[in-house]
Amino acid sequence: MTTATSSPRYQVLPGPEGLLPPSAAAMGVVLPQDGEGLVEGVIVPEAATYKAIAKAMLTRRNPTIFPGPLVVWGWTKHTQEKASVVLELAAEIPGVKIIPMPDYRPIYPKIDPEAVINPCHPNLTIWHNKIEACIFVGVHCHFASVTLKMVRAGTNCYTVALCAEAGHEDAMASLPHCDIEKLQRVTEALRQAKKEGLVPWALTPAGKRELAAEAEQKRKQRKAIATSAPTFAHELVAGLDENEE
Amino acid sequence: MSLDTLKISPGFESYMPKEYVDLVERGPYGRDVKVSEMGTFKEIIEEHPMCAGCAMTLFIRTALIGLPAPEHTVILGTAGCGRLVLSQASIPFIYGNYGDTNGVASGLKRGLEIRFPNQTKDVVVMAGDGGLADIGFSCVMHSWFRKEKFTTVMLDNEVYGNTGGQESGMTNKGMVLKMAPFGKKFEKMDMIGLAKTAGVAYIARLAPTNPTRIANVIRKAVLIAREVGPTYVQAYTSCNIEYAIPTPKVMDDAREVEKDRYGFMEIISDEAKAYLERIEQEKKAKAKAVAASKAGA
Amino acid sequence: MAEGLETEVKTNPQGDVITATEAPKVQAKENKAAKQRVVTPEHLFFEAPRTKTFITGSEAAKEAIRRANVDIAISYPITPQSETMQQVGYLYAEGYLKDYYRGEEEYGVMSAIAGASRAGVRALTATAGPGLMRGMEVITSWPGGRMPLLLLVMCRVINAPLAIQPDNVELSYLLNSGVLLFHGENQQDFFDFPLKAYMIAEKCEVTLPAAVAVDGFFVTHARGWVELPPDDIKLPPRDCYHEAVPMMDNENPPARLSRDAPIQKSNFISYQMHASWQQEIWAAQDRARPWIKKYMGGLIEVVNPGAETMIVASGSAVSQSREAVRQAGEKGDTIGLVKIRSLRPFPTQELIEACRHAKRIIVPEFNCIGWLAKEVRSALYGQTKAEIVPGPRVFGGMSMPTELILEYLYKTPNEARLTTKPLVL
Repeated sequence: MTTATSSPRYQVLPGPEGLLPPSAAAMGVVLPQDGEGLVEGVIVPEAATYKAIAKAMLTRRNPTIFPGPLVVWGWTKHTQEKASVVLELAAEIPGVKIIPMPDYRPIYPKIDPEAVINPCHPNLTIWHNKIEACIFVGVHCHFASVTLKMVRAGTNCYTVALCAEAGHEDAMASLPHCDIEKLQRVTEALRQAKKEGLVPWALTPAGKRELAAEAEQKRKQRKAIATSAPTFAHELVAGLDENEE
Repeated sequence: MSLDTLKISPGFESYMPKEYVDLVERGPYGRDVKVSEMGTFKEIIEEHPMCAGCAMTLFIRTALIGLPAPEHTVILGTAGCGRLVLSQASIPFIYGNYGDTNGVASGLKRGLEIRFPNQTKDVVVMAGDGGLADIGFSCVMHSWFRKEKFTTVMLDNEVYGNTGGQESGMTNKGMVLKMAPFGKKFEKMDMIGLAKTAGVAYIARLAPTNPTRIANVIRKAVLIAREVGPTYVQAYTSCNIEYAIPTPKVMDDAREVEKDRYGFMEIISDEAKAYLERIEQEKKAKAKAVAASKAGA
Repeated sequence: MAEGLETEVKTNPQGDVITATEAPKVQAKENKAAKQRVVTPEHLFFEAPRTKTFITGSEAAKEAIRRANVDIAISYPITPQSETMQQVGYLYAEGYLKDYYRGEEEYGVMSAIAGASRAGVRALTATAGPGLMRGMEVITSWPGGRMPLLLLVMCRVINAPLAIQPDNVELSYLLNSGVLLFHGENQQDFFDFPLKAYMIAEKCEVTLPAAVAVDGFFVTHARGWVELPPDDIKLPPRDCYHEAVPMMDNENPPARLSRDAPIQKSNFISYQMHASWQQEIWAAQDRARPWIKKYMGGLIEVVNPGAETMIVASGSAVSQSREAVRQAGEKGDTIGLVKIRSLRPFPTQELIEACRHAKRIIVPEFNCIGWLAKEVRSALYGQTKAEIVPGPRVFGGMSMPTELILEYLYKTPNEARLTTKPLVL
């Protein structure tokens, strides 16, 4: 709520930050203006933000895009266009996962962490899929902020917020007023980084091994489903415990 | 416009969980669905964390089928069991403060009327007996006196179920419950009579014994609230936990209570009656015209 | 009163004016409301020419609402607020608002306003003292619901014993609610602040309710000079699809929407969600700071910066302090004054900066508990060596003589106690 005066600048780094870290805004991190971006709590030129995003999404483990309701629901022409731009962006990240946040209601009583991410317990999805870099796009700002703080508290995931409004202090990298044009520049930055020789995680030996193991696991699961037909497609992770008051 | 929010962005179909795809492809939006068709469409409520055998859940599930335009409906609830299931429904749900439903609904409905003068938006309060007759009493009564155009549905389990079984104003006299160690000292509140006094346009009392009736009552209540005035549905939705009704006997209990003191009853104003008749006639005329045009073609 | 509403004055047998009459027929002869045009906030605030008028605080608030493009106002009478919401009722009758009604009591009103805000319209209400306390359960839920709306607070004594007089103890209850809280000094502020509060509250990264408070009677019922921009311009309408949460209107995604998640289950995950949610409310408060600077000219105003003795005040105490500063100036003493416009977010940094040179700080207040002195002390803890004197204070309807402030400027409270004589009017 109030800002300390003489303390060193607060850094917004991948966690786990601890039990309950303060919000970055409360620590004096302010939102960027047009032409700027926010990287790890510091306002930097827009161009530097693209580079930081590209580096994180290409080099960290299990890069994932979390499209929110304002992307997955094609309620306007603009949204539909934006959605296709997001898919173009995703296509530049080898091994990328796309896990939607279709809405914000607390999902009872269990969630399938391979199928959805939920703002009431986002870390279940991040932990389960071992996600170490992610992009939130098309999530309403309140729910994005609530989620980003929890992710920073409990995981080592590098969070990117491509926000159509003012941006997010609790993301490691954030662009304000991120419209279609800026999304395309992120895509371009991903292409550029690869061109400059950055080897995407999915193409490294470690990445290849992990993705192959995961594919094998899924194949086995599908086989098991085909023979035993359980109610849920994947292993479930406990969400909110509905039996306790 | 509203149905456009239920379109998945091209390219994202394969990433959306199955239940959302079902909602889009087989949801009850923009068309009439009947209770008899249950199982053939994606219902507004499927998963929920309610107790096994809960009559309230059955009532809510069926009531939601009766909504004439779920794609243009907002539901409001308050603390109590009902909101556990309502917050899982595929309809926007407002969970406010204790007993504020009819206050919030008044502002919401008026706000929606300002923003969408050409599109009816249905507002439905669904809350418990404690939420409406006790803590929310003032807001409920005044919304009726002001003739606010929305529907109030009381899920009357005659007890504070969610807080662990305390007496409510809707509990029957003599019942021994928590906070009534010698039994309740006064009669069950006559909310039906109060609704009548306040000039509510359509009042219905029912037990969840007949699913089609539930859906029909809700449909009527919501339609009348659009044009004529406030409507009130009071439904017996027993709490099998606090009243120790064995799960397989929940419907037996509902039938017994219905026979004994909770018989189906409707009070409808002349204006509301005329309005319902008018829309029935319009519906028939429209069907006739469609049939005629088909025959002509 | 509006032209179209004037009726023949009737009195009852006691000679009191009877105000209950048939509903007036508003004549559509000149529909000024429909002719208003939308301008940018910057134009309305800073560029439009202003005309000086001598009006009461209630009338100033009315003139603000006339230009605020409000959709719905919900009223409930309580002294000294009633006057303002009556005036807003006349604005409704003249077509400036789209809906207006008198609610059942404050809990119902605060709830209904919350419903309207969720529907996406610009909403207004006002209250005072006991009414604020009655609505408090709902008011403290607005920030968590991320509902931009405006609450005007005309401070008065909180019962008991029952009294209607000015006293701003009620603001201490709002300080920790999460509501943006601005405290106006005079009639001019009561015109400017509501307009600016709407624009700040509705910024996407803020999306919070705002309260604009003034001290009852001193501001609401007394006249002061107010510079008004023309009445044929108004603020842009609320842009509800560019806010932090989706609207409850079934016209924006997600279709399956429970915005107010009932996350009350007992496990760490739900605790963490709630904790993060609360942090987000206060983060949003911090995000309001740049907009308060832009539109309101800063969270504080400083008179005589660098003075060794500073007065820190908000509301009507600022007016009295200005006069004390002037009188001290006549004696050749330079006294500084910090006017706190924004109580939430609190101007911690600004205050530290403004009081850097201070050796003595006094905090005059119109309440018994001295909530502002506590705020000031906590903000300046470890940041100043100045003596912080929590006072002078008056309450229960008393006015604050400038002599009282002057005594506190020069003496310790104990010395002041020995010399302050009861005022004979």
